[in-house]
Amino acid sequence: MRTPRAAYPVTWRVMDMLERLAAAVWPSSFQRGLPYLMLLPAIVLVGLLVLGLVQIGDTSLRVLDTSTFLMSEDYTLANYQRVLTENFFATVAGRSLMGSLIVTAITLLFAFPYAYLMVRTPSSALRKFLLVALFLPFFIGQVVRAYGWLIILGNQGMVNEALGLVGVPPMRLLYNYPAVLFGLVQYMLPFAVLMLAPALTAIPNELEAAAASLGAGWVRTFRYVVLPLSRPGLVGAGLVVVTLSLTDFAIPAILGGGTQDFIANAIYDQFFRTSDQGLGATLSLMLVAVGSILVGVVFMLFGAGTLAMGETRK
Amino acid sequence: MTGSRSKSVVLWTFVTAALLMLSAPTVVVLGASFTAGNIITFPPDGLSLKWYGAIAQASDLRQAFVRSLIVATICTVVAIPVGTLAGIALAKYRVRFARSIQIYLLLPFTIPLIGSGIGLMLVFGNAGVLGKLWPVGIACCVINLPFMIWAVTASASNLSPDLELAAANCGAPPLQRFLYITLPAVLPGVITGSLLMFILALNEFLVSLLLVDARSVTLPVQIYNSIRSIITPDLAAISVVFIACAAFVIALLDRLVGLDIFLKSK
Repeated sequence: MRTPRAAYPVTWRVMDMLERLAAAVWPSSFQRGLPYLMLLPAIVLVGLLVLGLVQIGDTSLRVLDTSTFLMSEDYTLANYQRVLTENFFATVAGRSLMGSLIVTAITLLFAFPYAYLMVRTPSSALRKFLLVALFLPFFIGQVVRAYGWLIILGNQGMVNEALGLVGVPPMRLLYNYPAVLFGLVQYMLPFAVLMLAPALTAIPNELEAAAASLGAGWVRTFRYVVLPLSRPGLVGAGLVVVTLSLTDFAIPAILGGGTQDFIANAIYDQFFRTSDQGLGATLSLMLVAVGSILVGVVFMLFGAGTLAMGETRK
Repeated sequence: MTGSRSKSVVLWTFVTAALLMLSAPTVVVLGASFTAGNIITFPPDGLSLKWYGAIAQASDLRQAFVRSLIVATICTVVAIPVGTLAGIALAKYRVRFARSIQIYLLLPFTIPLIGSGIGLMLVFGNAGVLGKLWPVGIACCVINLPFMIWAVTASASNLSPDLELAAANCGAPPLQRFLYITLPAVLPGVITGSLLMFILALNEFLVSLLLVDARSVTLPVQIYNSIRSIITPDLAAISVVFIACAAFVIALLDRLVGLDIFLKSK
């Protein structure tokens, strides 16, 4: 014989209790506030970053007193003046900016065919292989990848050993500008392909077939159909690659060997080598400003594109 | 595919070069870890597992790895509820200032990593918690949070609101609707997001470097500190741990949600 207790299982009782609790804590008259309550934890977490920016701003307005090694109490703009006038920072900024533009161009050149083949190939095995080859380095982290390049490009590395076999004297392949750029391209490829792929998926295959049936060769189809339609993806990918490579730390540090510092390395040195927090904070804030302006301008010109979250409500 | 022979030649030239570039470091690190010699040479001096034995003995590497695991776990545990709730709220509800909130939540991506890292270092430094592990976990969570929110919104916008209305019609109270309708629908997104958060936090280097002290280094920082002095094969062996973790996460992602979701446009 069934008791009423068995007919009404424990889990239901627990659920009812939780339900009452939820209703007591957040009555249905507060319903309109619910989404804001759900967003609150995320807003608080990201708020840590905003707090960080405020503190950077505060620190950037204080100068280091070299006699006591304390930060000054009163605010001054001296750090900004130093950053803008000293040649060293202009050199580093120029090197980073130039580097990030070159890296972006090369990365997009390789990422586009990769993404195109991955999206268009009829073979699902090939698609999976390309995806895995993309995600593996993406998930391994910069340090391990840079370590791999050290083994390959080092003075006694694989490339030099192989060159030695055919009688070419060892070359210095590491700790120079091209090595850093090469490492950055490899680091950026997965980001670029992953930003491009959705944009290419959105281009119907029929469009290309139509262009071909009207007599366009693949180069013309590519030039006048695929490339213009993939512009949002290209902009998004280019933007991500420019900002990430402009602000990268690990690759210039490891493959540049301290001679090819980018902005991030200069900031790190200000904090941990010379201990001039004010100057480091000034550099950080200016980098954040440049990055945000870059992103902002592109968003205004081309729209947020792939980066938009929850934009498309169905 | 539509196209001619010359098209596939051009395509494959670029793709092969990209594939070589992408996989060369991984393959080389794998190879170097099995060398029998005391330095890394090419071709290797013979095969052995002795460097794996060496890292099993090295307590500093092991501790660093455990610290990285703790950091990644904290990051994921925090990110799952925070990102899921925010993602559902953005995708399902009509929120005032939705556009501004989205831009605000994208801040971790628009602020350069070095800026975020320095800022968090100052914040945690003033709070006097620098050198502990949980601030590193929280920091990794903050800087990668948009990944989590993106993954959840992508699957939440596929959920038809009619389903929830139907459940409500059948008498399901709000919490039940959330647990039995909404949550299962966004689960693929939650899985994708949390795997991403875990593996990215496990590998996070720059923010770790800024937030740890000598007693609390994580594995990427430990490797970075070591390769600046001398390159020995034990580092290759410990790097293989990262490769194995990455491969495991990829296999898991593929099994649970399929890697193809990264190709879809929303």
